[in-house]
Amino acid sequence: MIPSSPFLCVITDETLSPLFLAEKALMGGATMIQLRHKEASGSQLYSWAVAIRKLCHKHQALCIINDRVDIAMASHADGVHLGQQDMPIEAARKLLGKHCIIGASASSLKEAMQAERDGADYIGFGHIFPTSSKKKDYAPLGTETLRQAANHISLPIIAIGGISHENAATLIASGASAVAVISTVSRALDPTLAARKLLCAITKNCS
Amino acid sequence: MNDNRTKKSHLPRLFLISSGEECAGSGTLLLRQLALLPRSHPCMVQIREKKLSAKELLTLALKAREMELPEGTLLLMNERVDLALAASLGGVHLPENACSAKVLRTFAPNLIYGCSVHSPSALRIAEEAGADYLLFGPVFDTPSKRIYGAPQGLEKLGALCQATSLPVFALGGITKKNAGLCMAKGAYGIAALSLFRDTDRVADTIEELYLHLNQ
Repeated sequence: MIPSSPFLCVITDETLSPLFLAEKALMGGATMIQLRHKEASGSQLYSWAVAIRKLCHKHQALCIINDRVDIAMASHADGVHLGQQDMPIEAARKLLGKHCIIGASASSLKEAMQAERDGADYIGFGHIFPTSSKKKDYAPLGTETLRQAANHISLPIIAIGGISHENAATLIASGASAVAVISTVSRALDPTLAARKLLCAITKNCS
Repeated sequence: MNDNRTKKSHLPRLFLISSGEECAGSGTLLLRQLALLPRSHPCMVQIREKKLSAKELLTLALKAREMELPEGTLLLMNERVDLALAASLGGVHLPENACSAKVLRTFAPNLIYGCSVHSPSALRIAEEAGADYLLFGPVFDTPSKRIYGAPQGLEKLGALCQATSLPVFALGGITKKNAGLCMAKGAYGIAALSLFRDTDRVADTIEELYLHLNQ
C-alpha cells in the first residue's frame, strides 16, 4: 500500500532506459516507480513493466504504470497513474478491482476533489514549480495551492513539477505525502545520488 | 449486435478500419459509417484513432457500442485491451509490436484477438500467441504506406494464406476490382480504410464487395 511517511516517486522518461533508471532510483531509496514512456510500443512497455515490478518488489517499492491500464493488468503492477485525458477513474476501477492503486493527475483543487470523489487512491498534484520535463499551458500552482488541496483532501497528495532537493522539504511541510520527479533524477549525472538527496530532504534521514 | 462470443469461424469477411482522422470530441465519421452499414452485411470494425486520447477513444467506443449494428458485427479496439473491456467491445486488433495476445488473454479471455503480420516470422509469433485472425498488407499500392516501400503483392498474400489455417484479411489498396483477386489467393476477407471514406457510397461499396467475398 501507499507508504504513510514521506516518500519519493520517480517517474521514467525518454532520456534513460526506464529499467536502468528504475534500478538507480530504487537504490537511492525511491519507494514508488512510475513507468511512463509515451513513444514505446506495447510489447516494450510490457517487458519493462514486468522487469520494473520485479525490481520494485525486491526493494519493497510500488510499481505504477502511466496511462496504460492494459499494461498494468498484464504485468500485475501495483497500480496505474491516470492523467485527465486517460481512462476515467471509475472505468479503470471496474477493470482493476479495489486493491489496485489508482493515482490521478490534478492541476487544480477542483480536479483533485473530483478525483477523490471518483475513487482515486492518491493525487498527483502539480506542477507546483516551473518545470522543463513537460510543456505546460498554465502557471505553476505554488505551495499555497498545495496547502489548500491538502486541507480539502484526505487522500495522499504527491507533489510534482520542478522539485529539487532544495525545495522538496517545503512541499512536505505544505501537506504533501510525497514528491514525484522526472528530470531531477533521470537527467542527474548520478541518478542514485539525486534520489538519495531528495529522500534526505523530505525525510531528514540522510544516511 | 456485437457479440463477445462471436466464433472465429463466423467472423465477418469485411473489415472496416476507422479513418484515423477523428478529432477530439467528434468521432462523427466512424459513427456515420456505422449507421450506414447494410443490415444484412456484418463487418469487423476496428477503432484506430491515434490522435485521440484514451478518454476520447473510450467515449467513441461507448457511442459505437450503443448503436444498432448489423447482426454479427464485431467491434474491435486497436491495441488497447483495457478500452475494449471498458466499452464491452468484441475484441482487439494488435499491431506487430503490441503486447502478446497470449499475455492479454490471461486477464481478458473472452475477446477476439487479431494480429497484423507483415512477414513469415510475424506469422509464427502471431500463431504462437493464439491469434484468432490475421491482417496482412499492404497487398496493393496505397499512398499512406508508400514510405515503407513497395507493396507486398498478391503472391506474398497467397503464400501467407497457404502457410496458416487462420483467417487472413487482405489490406492495402483494396478496391471492388481487386478484392476478388485476394479471395482467389486464399484470403478470408478484405480490410480497408479509404474505400469506406465516402459515406455517400459506403452502403453500395459494402454490397458490391460482398458479391466478391461470397464467391
